[in-house]
Amino acid sequence: MATNNTNFYDLYRHGSLGVSLTDALDDLIGAERIDPQLAMKVLTQFDRIVAEALSEKVKARLTFKGSLDTYRFCDEVWTFLIKNVTFKMDNGAHTVQVDKVKIVSCSAKRGDEK
Amino acid sequence: MSNASVGTVYEHIIQEVINAVRVDFEENGVDDGVLDELKRGWQQKLSQMNVAQFPWDPRPDQSAQPPANAPSAALSAQAAALPAASYTNATLSPQGPAQPLSLPSGSHLNNNGVAIKPEPGLVKPEPAIKEEPGAGGAQNPNQHPVYPTPAAQRAAQQLHSRYGNSAAASISAIHSGLQQGQQGQQGQQGQQQQGQQQQGQQQQGQQQHAHPQQNYQQQAQQNYQRQQAYQAQQGNQGQQQQQQQGVRPGQAPQQVNPQLQYRQGVAASMQQRLQAQQAAHPPNGLPAAQVDGPSDVYDGVLMRRGPDGRPVEMGRVEIDNLLHAQIAARAKQMEGGGLMLPLKEATKTRGIATKRERANGAQFDGVDDDLKDEDLDDDAINSDLDDPDDDKDDDEDDDDSMGHMMLCMYDKVQRVKNKWKCVLKDGVLTVNGREYVFHKATGEYEW
Repeated sequence: MATNNTNFYDLYRHGSLGVSLTDALDDLIGAERIDPQLAMKVLTQFDRIVAEALSEKVKARLTFKGSLDTYRFCDEVWTFLIKNVTFKMDNGAHTVQVDKVKIVSCSAKRGDEK
Repeated sequence: MSNASVGTVYEHIIQEVINAVRVDFEENGVDDGVLDELKRGWQQKLSQMNVAQFPWDPRPDQSAQPPANAPSAALSAQAAALPAASYTNATLSPQGPAQPLSLPSGSHLNNNGVAIKPEPGLVKPEPAIKEEPGAGGAQNPNQHPVYPTPAAQRAAQQLHSRYGNSAAASISAIHSGLQQGQQGQQGQQGQQQQGQQQQGQQQQGQQQHAHPQQNYQQQAQQNYQRQQAYQAQQGNQGQQQQQQQGVRPGQAPQQVNPQLQYRQGVAASMQQRLQAQQAAHPPNGLPAAQVDGPSDVYDGVLMRRGPDGRPVEMGRVEIDNLLHAQIAARAKQMEGGGLMLPLKEATKTRGIATKRERANGAQFDGVDDDLKDEDLDDDAINSDLDDPDDDKDDDEDDDDSMGHMMLCMYDKVQRVKNKWKCVLKDGVLTVNGREYVFHKATGEYEW
């Protein structure tokens, strides 16, 4: 865990949880209550903890179908743009329909193995 | 549904992160309260996104918003107050005392502007006269202190000493004029009107103003020759006034009423001088060079009144701040005339200008059309991956980055012909304003 800085993606910073954390940190930095370096430490901790929590605490499963509009694979990151997607959660008990969704996905291998 | 678990998972994550960084905060010597504040701010911002029901929010769904907003507003107010407080303590403190003082240029303006404004009668032109470089200085050495004290204060003091309480209005006007001083043009117009008013008042009754007339009659006579010289230079304004007066029926010839003429001279010369001042001022807002030689007593570069009323030399930073404020004010003033546009517009116009230059230099039938045509031609060759598709793609990317998004890890991505299958895990999905977390997701889609 000593090298956890490099082991976890900062991808989740772009979710609502990460954005709100970044905003809160920005406020504190703007008020000169904390250093930007300290904020970076918080964010790296956040990267680790989110990844752990999502893998350990969450059991929910999800399936989705749709028509793929764009795909991209660059630097081990898949980006899909899918249209007319139907998400099924809880074994189909709950469905959500969206006209398009963007999926940004990093390799699960790197987080686990290294 | 997985949306229900979002609150608890996020709560867990927040608590974990806060606990994990507590050590870092301590190492950096940051108070625990800041950490609490971070947590509160984080939770409130998350609540504002309204992506899920969170444990820290009040239970009922409808009433969740107002309480969530109220503390956040308080927090933002606090956050706003914090930097302000710190600035007033540290950064602004040199500017605080700098407020009441004014640059010589500004106060020149004010002095001139205000000197006539409050009372258009005979009293007011006098303090303005004393500022004229040659006559005033020689005539009233006491009114021209050798060291450059702020002229507004000087004028205020003098008004007070001369006219006592009756001048209180104009003194306060001088002070308030410090803020209005930037409206040079308007002030000038006002002066013009004032000048005409003066004439009108003179017409109505010179008797009323017997006292003040006597008061400065001597000065008037002393200045008279100088004023005539001024009148010679006065150009159209002065002539206009003289013509007006000449046309006026029943008015005595000008030579018979030297005072009247003098007063016109004063008004006109002040207008002229104001214009000259404005024109002659370099753009940095410094006054024109002093004509009567350097000051005899050197106390400092720029002086201001200390709390005890004694002149205190201003520090370099103070002067810098003062100059900066002055320049900024002038820049703002000029913005109205379009001289100093915001950077964006300025660069835009410059870009247009250069484009036009280029067009003039090279081709006269319009650059843009040609370029577009060439681009289209080039693209027509490789039709498979041509531009329109890319453009559409980019647009969609932008659209989706704001809205529905899934962030996750992938275990497997497979493709058979146009059928894709992927196995994703540990993801966060945001759709339709709700957030979902999943441990595992499988997707099938066709391209």
